[in-house]
Amino acid sequence: MSIQDIISLLPMILLAGGMLLTMILIAAKRSHIVAFISTLVIFTISFVAIFFIIATTPHLIGELFIIDRFGLYYQGLILIAAFVITIFSYISLKKFFPNKRKEEYYLLLMLATLGAAMVVISTHFISFFVSLEILTVSLYTLISYYREREKAIEAGLKYLVLAAMSSSFLLFGMALIYTISGTMSFSSLSILSSNVTIDATIMLVAGIVMMVVGIGFKLALVPFHMWAPDVYEGASSPVTSFIATVSKGAVVAVLLRFFIMADLYRYEKIMLVFTIIAIVTMLIGNLLALMQNNVKRILAYSSIAHLGYLLVAFIAGKAMGVEAATFYITIYVVTILGAFGIITLVSQSDNEAADIENYKSLFWRKPLLATAFTVFLLSLAGIPLTAGFMGKYFLLAAGLGKGEWALAFTLVISSVIGLYYYLRVIVTMMKQDEDTAIVGTAPVFSVIGISLVTILGILIVAIGVCPQWLVNVVSKL
Amino acid sequence: MKDLLWLIVALPFAGALILTIFGKRSPRLVSAFIGVGSVSLAAIITILLGIGFMSHNPTGIPYHQLLWQWMDVDGLSLNIAFNLDSVSLTFIFVITFVGALIHLYSAQFMWKEEEGFARFFIFMNLFIGFMLILVLADNMLLLYLGWEGVGLCSYLLIGFWYKDPANGYAARKAFIVTRIGDFTMAIGLFILFTTYHTLNIKDILAAAPSTWAVGSGIALTTALLLLGGAIGKSAQLPLQTWLPDAMAGPSPVSALIHSATMVTAGVYLIARMHVLFELAPIAQHIIAIIGAITLLVAGMAALNQYDIKKVLAYSTISQIGYMFVALGVGAWSAAIFHFMIHAFFKSLLFLGAGAVILVMNDEHNMFKMGGLWKKLPVTFWTFLIAASSLTALPLLTAGFYSKDKILWLAYSSDKGSVWLWLAGLAGAFITALYTFRMVFITFFGKAKMEPTSRPGIFITIPLIILSILSFAGGFIELPGDMGHVTLLSDFIQKTMPAVMVQQSGYRIELIFQVIAAIVAIGGVWLAYIFYFNKQFDPAELKQNGLQRFFYKGWDFDLLYDKVFVTPMVFLARINKNDFIDQFYTSLASFTRLLHKGLSATQNGKLRWYATAIAIGAIVILTIIFYL
Amino acid sequence: MILVWLILLLIGCGFLAWLTGRWSDILPRVISLTGVFIQLIIIVSLLLEHKQGSQWIISYAHAWIPFFGIQIKVAADGLSLLMLLLTSFLGLLSILVSWKEINKKVGFFHFNLMFVLAGITGVFISLDLFLFYFSWEVMLIPMYFLISIWGNEKRTYAAYKFFLFTQASGLLMFLSILGLYFIHGHNTGTYTFDYEQLLGTKMSTQTAFILMLGFVIAFIVKLSTVPFHSWLPDAHTQAPTAGSVILAGLLLKTGAYGLIRFVLPLFPQASHQFAPIAMTLGVISILYGAKLAFAQTDLKRLIAYISVSHMGFILLGIYAFNEIAMQGVVMQMIAHGISTGALFIIAGALHERIHTRDMEQMGGLWTKVPKMGALALIFIMGSLGLPGLGNFIAEILILIGSFFADKALTIIATLGLIASTIYALRIMQKVFYGKEEKKWVIADLGFREMAIMLSLTIVIIWLGLFPNCILKVSKSPVQKIIESTNRVFDVQENVVSQRIIIKN
Repeated sequence: MSIQDIISLLPMILLAGGMLLTMILIAAKRSHIVAFISTLVIFTISFVAIFFIIATTPHLIGELFIIDRFGLYYQGLILIAAFVITIFSYISLKKFFPNKRKEEYYLLLMLATLGAAMVVISTHFISFFVSLEILTVSLYTLISYYREREKAIEAGLKYLVLAAMSSSFLLFGMALIYTISGTMSFSSLSILSSNVTIDATIMLVAGIVMMVVGIGFKLALVPFHMWAPDVYEGASSPVTSFIATVSKGAVVAVLLRFFIMADLYRYEKIMLVFTIIAIVTMLIGNLLALMQNNVKRILAYSSIAHLGYLLVAFIAGKAMGVEAATFYITIYVVTILGAFGIITLVSQSDNEAADIENYKSLFWRKPLLATAFTVFLLSLAGIPLTAGFMGKYFLLAAGLGKGEWALAFTLVISSVIGLYYYLRVIVTMMKQDEDTAIVGTAPVFSVIGISLVTILGILIVAIGVCPQWLVNVVSKL
Repeated sequence: MKDLLWLIVALPFAGALILTIFGKRSPRLVSAFIGVGSVSLAAIITILLGIGFMSHNPTGIPYHQLLWQWMDVDGLSLNIAFNLDSVSLTFIFVITFVGALIHLYSAQFMWKEEEGFARFFIFMNLFIGFMLILVLADNMLLLYLGWEGVGLCSYLLIGFWYKDPANGYAARKAFIVTRIGDFTMAIGLFILFTTYHTLNIKDILAAAPSTWAVGSGIALTTALLLLGGAIGKSAQLPLQTWLPDAMAGPSPVSALIHSATMVTAGVYLIARMHVLFELAPIAQHIIAIIGAITLLVAGMAALNQYDIKKVLAYSTISQIGYMFVALGVGAWSAAIFHFMIHAFFKSLLFLGAGAVILVMNDEHNMFKMGGLWKKLPVTFWTFLIAASSLTALPLLTAGFYSKDKILWLAYSSDKGSVWLWLAGLAGAFITALYTFRMVFITFFGKAKMEPTSRPGIFITIPLIILSILSFAGGFIELPGDMGHVTLLSDFIQKTMPAVMVQQSGYRIELIFQVIAAIVAIGGVWLAYIFYFNKQFDPAELKQNGLQRFFYKGWDFDLLYDKVFVTPMVFLARINKNDFIDQFYTSLASFTRLLHKGLSATQNGKLRWYATAIAIGAIVILTIIFYL
Repeated sequence: MILVWLILLLIGCGFLAWLTGRWSDILPRVISLTGVFIQLIIIVSLLLEHKQGSQWIISYAHAWIPFFGIQIKVAADGLSLLMLLLTSFLGLLSILVSWKEINKKVGFFHFNLMFVLAGITGVFISLDLFLFYFSWEVMLIPMYFLISIWGNEKRTYAAYKFFLFTQASGLLMFLSILGLYFIHGHNTGTYTFDYEQLLGTKMSTQTAFILMLGFVIAFIVKLSTVPFHSWLPDAHTQAPTAGSVILAGLLLKTGAYGLIRFVLPLFPQASHQFAPIAMTLGVISILYGAKLAFAQTDLKRLIAYISVSHMGFILLGIYAFNEIAMQGVVMQMIAHGISTGALFIIAGALHERIHTRDMEQMGGLWTKVPKMGALALIFIMGSLGLPGLGNFIAEILILIGSFFADKALTIIATLGLIASTIYALRIMQKVFYGKEEKKWVIADLGFREMAIMLSLTIVIIWLGLFPNCILKVSKSPVQKIIESTNRVFDVQENVVSQRIIIKN
């Protein structure tokens, strides 16, 4: 563990240390605001820290970790997301749980973030698994943190059981691979397979498939997607958005890293599996959302579909795939954060504004929010002037560049289906306010929240109109 | 003087424009003044122009006036340009002159129309303008413009009293039926352009003989297609059904459009494109035959009408039939001669009938009139003159000379035959019969109704002028055996070839004339026996089946209704909302179905989710190992 | 650069209108009116100084996303200028039309209106396929809002239908664009969306045909060709007047423009293979549209089907591959925009007054609203192709042109003349003639409406009498396109012979 290693891991260390610090703070004095502020500060610091170590990339830490631009980029993304989520969490906690103990929430949040941030730089089964578990375990608690809400506990439990199951698949896969290759680091996997027998290869492939199942669960790919809507609905919006953005982003990153470093693109069958998964995910995800009336479930299904889209780039692989995937996940994160932020802001009671009716004529009551939401939804639908379009274009370009016409075609068809339910939400917001079916009092809006959402919205449009800068960043990874 | 040609066309349009802008506000007198004034001015200019034209170029070189280039696309270059030759001069003379008279008449006739007065004159002026364009056009497309324009005005004027839906339907019928003719005519134009790469009439006529062999298939096709247009406009079989209904319009309209001018546009077209038709002898025969059949069919129909205007309508159809016979045998000048004379006496008849109807407060049924000759002397005498001209009573009336020429040439021209002549003769007999049936029933016998008033001065003046023309008009063209005056035919033949007469000789011609005369007088005599001073009770006029059949115009309407209208309406109704749309709707509902099916899997049961994951894993493994 | 400003101007006005809409209803109207008016002036001035023959009068190119070889490349030739002229003119009218009709969310309404216009402008001038697709999509969303917020009773359904149809077909086109992009890239090594570079991309006949289909589907859905027409009646019927005017007058035209500007030059050979099918579809649309129009009782729906029928002529003309027909198409785009727009405005005016579009309820209105009746008459005559009005020039040119290409189909298409008479006169009969079904108490056209309608009337008559003014402008671009389409194909003697026939 050289000094250089320490420096390279600075963001992580800061995060961990900051967490301990906060714990002490809480122990000393329970104060929501303090915990909140300190969390923000910590996220900011460790985000800043990233920029100090870009120069020294790439840097290997044994076989376990690699600190390279790719990893750092994802870390940065995760930290930003976590930062935003923290703010929304503060709002929702303050709004719905005025007299509960809220401080631990931030600890868990930071812990989960730490796990995610470590996932993206891990290059070894051990480091990968450990960090993934850190992420997951802290998620269990986060999901069911609001224990008064019905569904929260249930969601947490479901996630617990299923995640455990998937982890076991993951472990089993790793074990299989290890038995064949005798190595656990990604890179060393790429070397072998020239000198292994046929049935050994079969074992190997089986192992990879097992891992795919585990990873597929985390990404909520069909047919491992079923937990998603329930958990999304059960957890509070900030947590949901955390699952949708941070955890998925991290897993996508590690998946890319794993496949490229271990060069698994040579196994056509696995690629075939992914192709099939991608197709069904795109279609089923969108079909499930079609007539949904619960906005959070809609977003859950749409996020399933979006990960399906992302697979198109992933399958395209080295060519343009990595850039496309990264570009897309970035945009996706921003959009989803915005969307769930809106839900948080619109909600009035602890059973959040999930039902589509709550958004009726929002456009005439709160034009700014509604416009922002419209932008996010259009971005998800991939309509020009929004970043989503550019992202989708990038995916298609990657896919077609590889000649994946079937995938591209499915993407098009399914996104047309998808259009329908995004529009449904928009139309509901546009409805004239002859019958204001708004339950309870007018929602409490926090200035920070609105401004944050607005910023995100502007960001989406900005990327949508001139994406060049982001493309540059991504393509240099 | 010649350069004022454009003015003749421009004046009516200008009048219409002025009336459109100020018509609503200005009093009726002003509107009348503008309407009548503009057309009369056009008429005066026409006459001056005509005199100039005839005196200054004896050879009758056409005068061409270019206004502006209309369009110029890749070989298709057309101008808004007028071409004045003897034929078009004759036509514009009739149009403007008769038009002016009828405008004058209308000024009084339509006086009771409070709101529609200006509108009436707008439409009438527009009509005159378009009609002039039609006959002056130097290219087919411009001619087509006038052609459609007059169709529009006819539509508007038939439906002038729009409050009664029936009039609307009559107007619509007129437009649609004529449009069927226009459809074939349009295709004719396409063929002409594809072969000659121009639509200028002069160039086509010049190029045609060298391009198409006589009797060649393409020539025949084109000729027939153009003929289709002519048939539609001129209400010949089988597209004649619209004209009787067109009587829904005011009487001046019937006089101007549906007897004097527009319905003869077909005659003009064929005469204008005579070269093409001479290239297709079969087409010419067909024209003659259509003419012959039409004049008989319409005559029989006219014989069984009650409505005085309906009689005249069918009579018009049958008279145009005569013109078609003339065209069919290549007697161009004879056709145009008859067109001119017919314009005079038929418009006179309509105006007279209109006057009668006016004073009998809108009674159309002849059998409810009667004994009017004492009460309305002027109307009666002028009507009588016109009637006898229509009947072609020998020596005096103009109709005699024009119709006799046709009858004679129908037999004697190289394309003529004895059958055509016989048909014409029979037609002449029927004409005499129905004409004087009308005269006797309307003006003689016991009076059943008192006329409310005497027709005013502006109504009578045109009647008188026209009545003079409709017997004096004939003397410009006298047959060979009596004087042999050929003013008009010489004039026309500056533009068109003379008819090929194969057997001539004054004796035969004389015999023919005597026969024709006898037939006409016989008809009158028969009418006298049947209808003079007979008492008809309009209540119990019963017709036998055949008469009803004739009365209904040989039930063409019924036929077309059964064959075309009903099926189309049915088709329209069954597929009102578009079966193609159903396809997309079902696609949508199919997707919805899929959604329902899939949602069933999201049942919230943990164990089911777990199993799903397991199954998924297994499926993937099987794909890996067994694919 | 001026062209870019045209778009920016509209967008800017749009935002301004939205903002000011919060405080007043008049401001947005005035702002957007001035915005479009300025655009109109600019375009007219461009037209005046434009001398024919030159290929691109004005063009501007600037890198947008170099990573993909995407650039902001806009240019205009006679054709695009004419389309722009139409755009700004109808844009102006649609603002005036909604002056009284739209009373709620005025600001947002004009925001959307401006954006649609901006998108359409973009479509007409973009020479970069990515940019083209971009603007192609940009015009959808605001149009969707126009229909679904200010539309009539079934607006939501209609809006969905419109959006899904156009979006689905549009994405197919996008795939084709990408396909072309990659094929060209593989061939030459330069990955670009530049229209002029993509011209003449080498590819197998098979591929070319499939790629072309992608484009064609997008365009003929917009063109509402049978059997892809069924979004149109609903959208047109449910949209507010301004929406209908823009839909019928401009959005449909983008389809035709796309076919002319992109499909023919990019895939000449494939287009020639496709021509028989296309022409047949055109003829079917002409007659089927007419038949459906005749069946309708809803006035706006009837007019919508008239559009279907008229667009059939356009398809027929485009695939005749000769100058006469193509000039006719250009003429038809403009004339139809004017005449149908006018009819929609009248229908809207009636709807404003008597709150129904059902023609059974109307009748005998000439007495009540003579001005409206007279003006309606003119445009009804226009839509049945009465000589002297613009539509006639268009239709006759198209028919003459396509008669060279295919006699039989043209003759069937000519039946449209009769069909159009039947449905068009039906409007006259049901609405203005006959007895009054109900005792409506309604005012005739006011000053504003008269101004709108008169301007349209003058234009349609002017088009009918002096079509050369238009034809001169569009001549050189049309010739160029026809040349480029037929050049590749000159081996096929039938086409060659046609060319000769027309030329000599």
